[in-house]
Amino acid sequence: MLSAQERAHVTQVWDLIAGHEAHVGAELLLRLFTVYPSTKIYFRHLGTCPDEVQLQSHGQRMLAAVGVAVQRMDNLRAALSPLADLHAQVLRVDPANFPLLIQCFQVVLASHLQDEFTVEMQAAWDKFLTGVAVVLTEKYR
Amino acid sequence: MVHLSGEEKTAIATLWGKVNADEVGGEALGRLLVVYPWTQRFFDSFGDLSSATAVMGNPKVKAHGKKVIDAFSNGLKHLDDLKGTFSSLSELHCDKLHVDPENFRLLGNEIVIVLAHHLGKDFTPKVQAAFQKVVAGVANALAHKYH
Repeated sequence: MLSAQERAHVTQVWDLIAGHEAHVGAELLLRLFTVYPSTKIYFRHLGTCPDEVQLQSHGQRMLAAVGVAVQRMDNLRAALSPLADLHAQVLRVDPANFPLLIQCFQVVLASHLQDEFTVEMQAAWDKFLTGVAVVLTEKYR
Repeated sequence: MVHLSGEEKTAIATLWGKVNADEVGGEALGRLLVVYPWTQRFFDSFGDLSSATAVMGNPKVKAHGKKVIDAFSNGLKHLDDLKGTFSSLSELHCDKLHVDPENFRLLGNEIVIVLAHHLGKDFTPKVQAAFQKVVAGVANALAHKYH
């Protein structure tokens, strides 16, 4: 459902953060936990006060999955199927939390990239991440 | 009522002073209309909204953005009584404008993103948290008189 133009914008965004997955992922999680403290309940394994090393480690893993999704925009369901199983059977993150993560992602990008992160890129990235969230929660019931 | 620490109130006042509020309003409204195009349903009279460039450059979008942000700025001065401050605006949005309150939450998020864009690394996670509390409070206040 992403147009060719939108896919190009998504790839543009990814190119700007590729190589910085740990750093971007860590800040993403820090913002999520700071702005929406209730989300921490899903990350008990990181402890009550996760340190930079833990945030980078988990952040890196999350961003790597986003990278896979970017490469496979043509077939998100197939690419993310194992992760969708994990979310449905084990993690069971309430779907209401995904927009919170997406908001924090946009803020990370806007604050770091500033003018490089155009309105069109924001729109495409939002649509793309929303699509990823739909796939990750699709097997919930 | 929004519960902010002294540190959060200071951060909000300081950083709000660093941005051009009028520009923030126009950009936030523009981003709302581009990222969530169905929100354009309220703005049939605004003319050309056919592309991101058209939206962001549209003078009616900028003018309306300024109006919205003026109300928001006023809200920042009355964080202890947002429901009272936005009472008549709430009635207006329900009875005359028929705006789904979900739009207030979406616009609030766009204001936060525009602030991040302008302030860069000054827009720390703690600052974001403070502003997200404020925009949530304003959104709730604007929805309060709905019936």
